[in-house]
Amino acid sequence: MEARIILQIQIPWNPNHKFSRRPSLYLPRFFIRASSSTSQKPRSYRGPKPSKNLVADFISRNDDLARSLPIYVGGASLLAVLFNRTVSGIAPVADASSSQSRADLLALGLAVTNLLTGLVWLSIRPKSITPVNPEGVECKVVVSGLPTTIVSELLWAWESFKVATCCKSLVIVYNGICLIQIGMVAESTEDKKGVIVNTDKLMQGSVYQGVMKSKAQSYLANLSLYPGRSELPFLPANTQAVILQPLGDKGIAVIGGNTIRGFTSSDQAWISSIGEKLDATLGRYFIDSAAEVSPEKD
Amino acid sequence: MSIRICNLPFNSSFAPQPRARISSRRSTRVFARTENDTQQQLNLSVLRFTFGIPGLDESYLPRWLGYGFGSLLLLNHFSASVPINEPQLRSEALGLSLAAFSIALPYIGKFLKGSVVEQRTLPEEGEQVFVISSNIGDSLKEDLAWATYVLLRNTSTIAVLVSIQGELCVRGYWNCPDQMSKAQLHDWFKKKVDEIGLADVKETLYFPQYEGSSASWDILPNGTRSLFVQPFVQDINEQQKMNGFLLVASTAGYAYSDKDRAWIGAMAEKFRG
Repeated sequence: MEARIILQIQIPWNPNHKFSRRPSLYLPRFFIRASSSTSQKPRSYRGPKPSKNLVADFISRNDDLARSLPIYVGGASLLAVLFNRTVSGIAPVADASSSQSRADLLALGLAVTNLLTGLVWLSIRPKSITPVNPEGVECKVVVSGLPTTIVSELLWAWESFKVATCCKSLVIVYNGICLIQIGMVAESTEDKKGVIVNTDKLMQGSVYQGVMKSKAQSYLANLSLYPGRSELPFLPANTQAVILQPLGDKGIAVIGGNTIRGFTSSDQAWISSIGEKLDATLGRYFIDSAAEVSPEKD
Repeated sequence: MSIRICNLPFNSSFAPQPRARISSRRSTRVFARTENDTQQQLNLSVLRFTFGIPGLDESYLPRWLGYGFGSLLLLNHFSASVPINEPQLRSEALGLSLAAFSIALPYIGKFLKGSVVEQRTLPEEGEQVFVISSNIGDSLKEDLAWATYVLLRNTSTIAVLVSIQGELCVRGYWNCPDQMSKAQLHDWFKKKVDEIGLADVKETLYFPQYEGSSASWDILPNGTRSLFVQPFVQDINEQQKMNGFLLVASTAGYAYSDKDRAWIGAMAEKFRG
């Protein structure tokens, strides 16, 4: 259908006089079709299609090669200039007397620029850190009794973290209850299932208290260096990075990742925004349910 | 010596497995090379410099040198005595191709990992609008208000449009007629979106170097350089999911990295239902 509409649009611009009478026949049909299509089906997309940028794709895929490319180019041209001099029998003397020497000097200057740029690019290469597979079991524990909207919001938060960051485990504790424990969980030694979150112990620990007092997100970029690691026994033993996001002043979200310094500053900003949203949603639900309960008590 | 500098960083990025297979005598040599590697990397950082002039981007230095030396080469060529011998022509050809490569270097450098992302600039004219359809429930309105706010804050977006089953939420700098009431603006945007046919888009569209397009796209503010359209993913098995799309625009080129696009996709998932 899109092809036919495009054909009908193009016909009025066709310089061939044989079709000069056709536009008056086709245009009304086009408008009639358009008015019927907006009411039933969305009109076909008429806009630019994204074009592939081959250079950008090549460079993003071959980062190392692209970084050292200027070095190879500069080095090869240095050798080429000297080779040119020797082959043509002119003495390789670097003075600016003849125009040949001047051209050679300029080419040498550019070769050196390329060499230096390549070296600078190599020096600013970001260190690539390999992710570490978390040891544990897959787990999905959602506390019962929550309405479906809350559960779907919590699961949406987990899906977003899983897809967009290096997150592999998520635990949300709110109002003294562990609402959700999902992702990779440390395997308990007694049975083969995951370690359940001991909410009271977590809330009395220094990790939780510290985050609640500062009311700010805490990013433990390298968990193995952190002494409070023992207070998070439910996370897999080789979790590399953890973000502790306070949800208002009533809860905390513990997000475990599989790469050291794996959460970028953009990830941190997004996680704190989602934390505020979860706090608003959960806070409203718990206030409503407390208001329902207290009239009964009275 | 120079070739060794090239090779060392390559080895450091390989997995440690190849080193394990090397015999013990060679492994000490490999260790020495990695130590040398860190020292060489430290020395390389000395090459980085800045003139200290604010606003002057030293990463564009190869481009200026390329232009300068290239023009000097041409000057040299035209001021030389007429029968120019072949070796000189060869040198000049080499020099000019090197100049062209140097001019292209900052462009190549933009695509390397860890390169600096351009900052967004706010459009000079136009003002911010915030329009939500009145046909949707309060909780969805709150979600839309929060999502659009977060998109404007956490990415370099200056304009965002969310469409859910045809109902729109528009926020940011848009090129729309002023002096319209909110309801009229909503209908105006709806008409424009229908003209473009954005509801029919099946997969994500990313334009990192948007130059301007046909008449219907003039709702985007002047100076838009990046555009990203994320339709709500449709699954044949899930009939009760909402359809719609999310459109974000920015005044910075290449504004949406893979990570940004993953997060925007997560936001779209929220409204899918």
